[in-house]
Amino acid sequence: MKAQIDSIKQAALAAVEEADGTQALGEVRVRFLGKSGEMTSLMKGLSALSKEERPEMGKLLNEARTEIEAALELKLAAARESEKAARLQAEAVDVTLPGRAPRTGTLHPITQVREDIVKVFLGMGFEVAEGPEIESDLYNFQLLNVPKDHPARDMQDTFYVNDSYVLRTHTSPMQARMMTTKKPPIRVVIPGRVYRSDDDASHSPIFHQIEGLAVDRYITMGDLEGCLTAFAQQMFTKETKIRLRPSYFPFTEPSVEVDVTCAICGGKGCRVCKGTGWVEILGAGIVNPAVLEMCGIDSRQYSGFAFGLGLERIAMIKYGIPNIKLFYENDVRFLKQFNGEVER
Amino acid sequence: MLAPVSWLKDYVDINVSPEKLAEKLVAIGFEVEGIEYQAKKATSVKTCKILSVEKHPNADKLRVAQVDIGGKTIQVVTNVAVEGGEYTAVALDGAVLADGKTIKRGELRGVLSEGMFCGPEEIGFTAADIDGQKEDDILRFAEGTELGIDAAVALGFDDVVLDVSVTANRPDCNSIYKLAKEVAVALGTECREPEIGYKATGASVNEVVSVTVKDKDLCPRYMAACVRDVKIFPSPEKIRRRLRAVGIRPINNIVDITNYVLIEIGQPMHAFDSRYLAGGKIVVRRAEEGEHIVTLDGKDNTLNSSMLAICDAEKPVAVAGIMGGEYSGIQPDTSTIVFESAKFARDSVRRTSRALNLRSDSSARFEKGIDFASQEYGLERALTLVYETGSGVIGKGVIDVKVNYEKVRDVRFTTAKLRRILGCAVPEKQLVAILSRLGIPVEKEEDGVFTAHVPDARSDIEGVNDIAEEFIRVYGYSHVKPTLFAHSALTRGGVPADIAFRNRVKGELVSLGLNECITYSFTSPVFADRLRIPADSELRRTVELVNPLGEALSVMRTVLTHSMLEVLAYNAAHFNKSASLFEIAKTYHPKSLPLTELPEEKEKLVIGMYGADADYFALKGVLDGLFRALRVEPGYTRSSLAFLHPGRGADIEVEGSVIGYAGEIHPDVASEYGADVRLYAAELDLDALVKLCTAGARFKEFSKYPPVERDLAVVVSDDVQAGDMIAAVKEAGIADMTDAEVFDVYRGAQVGEGMKSIAMNFSFASPVRTLTDDAIASEMAKILALLEGKFDAKIRA
Repeated sequence: MKAQIDSIKQAALAAVEEADGTQALGEVRVRFLGKSGEMTSLMKGLSALSKEERPEMGKLLNEARTEIEAALELKLAAARESEKAARLQAEAVDVTLPGRAPRTGTLHPITQVREDIVKVFLGMGFEVAEGPEIESDLYNFQLLNVPKDHPARDMQDTFYVNDSYVLRTHTSPMQARMMTTKKPPIRVVIPGRVYRSDDDASHSPIFHQIEGLAVDRYITMGDLEGCLTAFAQQMFTKETKIRLRPSYFPFTEPSVEVDVTCAICGGKGCRVCKGTGWVEILGAGIVNPAVLEMCGIDSRQYSGFAFGLGLERIAMIKYGIPNIKLFYENDVRFLKQFNGEVER
Repeated sequence: MLAPVSWLKDYVDINVSPEKLAEKLVAIGFEVEGIEYQAKKATSVKTCKILSVEKHPNADKLRVAQVDIGGKTIQVVTNVAVEGGEYTAVALDGAVLADGKTIKRGELRGVLSEGMFCGPEEIGFTAADIDGQKEDDILRFAEGTELGIDAAVALGFDDVVLDVSVTANRPDCNSIYKLAKEVAVALGTECREPEIGYKATGASVNEVVSVTVKDKDLCPRYMAACVRDVKIFPSPEKIRRRLRAVGIRPINNIVDITNYVLIEIGQPMHAFDSRYLAGGKIVVRRAEEGEHIVTLDGKDNTLNSSMLAICDAEKPVAVAGIMGGEYSGIQPDTSTIVFESAKFARDSVRRTSRALNLRSDSSARFEKGIDFASQEYGLERALTLVYETGSGVIGKGVIDVKVNYEKVRDVRFTTAKLRRILGCAVPEKQLVAILSRLGIPVEKEEDGVFTAHVPDARSDIEGVNDIAEEFIRVYGYSHVKPTLFAHSALTRGGVPADIAFRNRVKGELVSLGLNECITYSFTSPVFADRLRIPADSELRRTVELVNPLGEALSVMRTVLTHSMLEVLAYNAAHFNKSASLFEIAKTYHPKSLPLTELPEEKEKLVIGMYGADADYFALKGVLDGLFRALRVEPGYTRSSLAFLHPGRGADIEVEGSVIGYAGEIHPDVASEYGADVRLYAAELDLDALVKLCTAGARFKEFSKYPPVERDLAVVVSDDVQAGDMIAAVKEAGIADMTDAEVFDVYRGAQVGEGMKSIAMNFSFASPVRTLTDDAIASEMAKILALLEGKFDAKIRA
């Protein structure tokens, strides 16, 4: 029997040695160690041996079995590893192939710019309000210090519904609506659609503005500058500077145009800023005391600032959009471009 | 306004470049929109003399000229009939013409040409700009003209013209004189006064004309003077050149003088031929209702009693401040003229000009507003020019009819108040110096209060804020330092619920794969017919514009679908294979027509799609996603809207009210929009929806035990709607059922004509135990019984 054990063991070890892969090794296990395997059959033959022989043969048998197991396990582990490696290699993909993304949409660039700007002002304690787009002449003009037949009416080409109603030419009428309905302190931004009967290469008859208004006991031009600097730096870059230039709007006094350092060249001068290093982005000023008074706010106690900016203009600067018409064609190849802006 | 630098220099010394001057003007509030170098509209176009001309060897119509360009001779091939000996202009190799074209030397039919002869257009002018210049001819210079110099310079076009944008609060600066005053402030120099100097030797003006002003509210000042023995001739070169530089065509000495004064002093003037002033009278009065006047432009105008007219003893001879009558102007045989220099109320001129649709340089100027001093300056300056040019004999005296007016208005202020406006320190010395340079003398009283004496011309200065602006625009905004609400209360800020809701909806739709679009709020009135809106529908009542950009943009929309279908069709026509879009915008619903109060503006949502992945269920999937996010459970019933596919449209109902529709657009409608693909759209009333969204998220216990699913397929009649079956099951109180949904619908021979098989999946889970097969079987039996009873369903074998 000893010789038999030895020969089976040798055969098994040889078979292990020869077997290639986990499947072949499995077959080897079954052949030698399985329920009806060769070693198992020998095990069963033990009972036929004499009491004296049995322990010794049993021990031998066990040793042989352990040896085979060990060899098998060793080989099996190696085979598993190499098979896994082969599988992983076979599973390699072309990592440059397109991904399978869930389809997501986009917000219109005007909405994105609007929300970016609103966010900046929310942080400075402003609330958001909106107002009617079909407006009365009273709120669109008269309460803003533009009486009927005043030359300042020529500053804006107006769409009229009749003598008393217009499509609002700016978001400024909401200044008057806020001041006539709320008590200072007031800090509000008013985004919305506005209308001018102007349709050429650089104008759209519909565009968007954001109006800003702050009224309190002691509001200065310095506060306006600080507020707009914070806005410009968050909107463009932290290095952006602003510049105030004297100008005229009937509802602010003093009035200013606000320029920012050109985001394209950083102020060195380029085609976008026409070599000046500055780009005009908005009009602003100290609320005209006449407007405060018309809206029922005591101009001796209170002062305020107001500003109005065009969202299209900001979006064009920010994204490098060359033509205002693109915003309203709504070609999906345009609409899909403006996602995933990272805040700076 | 256009301001030639040479003209400004009559009043103020300018020792800086035009660019620097522009920069300085911008800094004090006058935007300079352009700087035009008259001589630089074209480059390398030089004076020359044609020495000799030969026939071109290879072309009958061409000639070959030898041309002296000042010490050098070049050869030019031309089709102009030159003979030799002419002095003209030639564009040299590398010249850039006014229209941007570049001239290169090269061969013309085998003969070298080194330039091109030029007419006025090539250097940026017209024949009318140049004395004696014929149309379609090359430039002609006098014998002996210096050769090789810029052609424009040789013609006297060597000015630099600034295009200054004057804001509406500074009407006074629409004149060379007042603009020069600002230039002086900007440069820190002095400004000279207009040159006045003439001798009045003729008989008194009172012998020629009398002036009566009946409506002083519309004409606060009317001045008149007369000139006899008038000679009509072309104005001197300088006047003509300056008028051309600002875009005015010279006519004759008298007309040119009125235009010159308009530009220089800012005072519109009119010259009447006294022969046509019946009765030798000028009466300034409101027109009689229905009175007629034919104006210089040949137009017959009917006046009304709100319009101011200049009349003689019988009839209107001019519409005040706007235009003279057809015979009132200067004729070749005019011998006595009456100059009018008046102030008319700006709003009256504006209203009349618009009502009559009659405009002129004069009305444009009056509409902006004019001060009291200009009439005098204007008249005196005109008489000076008459005198200097020898245009006639000036009558003695002037007529001056005027109301009393305040020459100076006082504004009281403190530097503390200025500081509160500007947020920067206001040094008193600079303040006083700056205001006085601006022509506003300031006095300081003992209590520290300042009084500024503001001249009438500065009607824009009414209070302390205006003083602050005058100071800071000269002192410089660089002195204002940024602060962030240094002296203000904190405020809370925030976004109101309706705006937050809209943003939420937009966010959901983007995550559902839609692209936001923005379309015009006004549209074509055809929208209602296109969308088959019933004749009696409220949606046909629209707010209309009186001055739209065109019929196609003339009514404020009451629905968004029309715009969306246009956008879908546009994209389909522009190579986009698919699109999934949405827009949230207002629609406008008048409460009364014509409008007497603000219309109702409702916020709507429209969704549109087309392409390979688009169908009714893709559209409904987006809506399902949106409603799930908003925790709203809508019901869908077949819609009867006429613009929808009759079998593929649904009305959407939430809590008993219809808030919109969803469906495939009827193919006839789609093709009217020019779309050759199937279009899908939905429109919802967002204002209604926001009110229905009251539920927030609430935690609900979920089972820790394994869930069990069962499928069930039943055959029902084709007109049974799957949604009704699912709803019935969900309402039936089936124990531990967590979900029920349809996963397949089958029609075909196996289930029989007029029938369909609906396969459903039911999920069960108990929070407290593992469900047994028996328990689920008994619930499934209940479901089947329900479907059999309610929908006549048969279990599918």
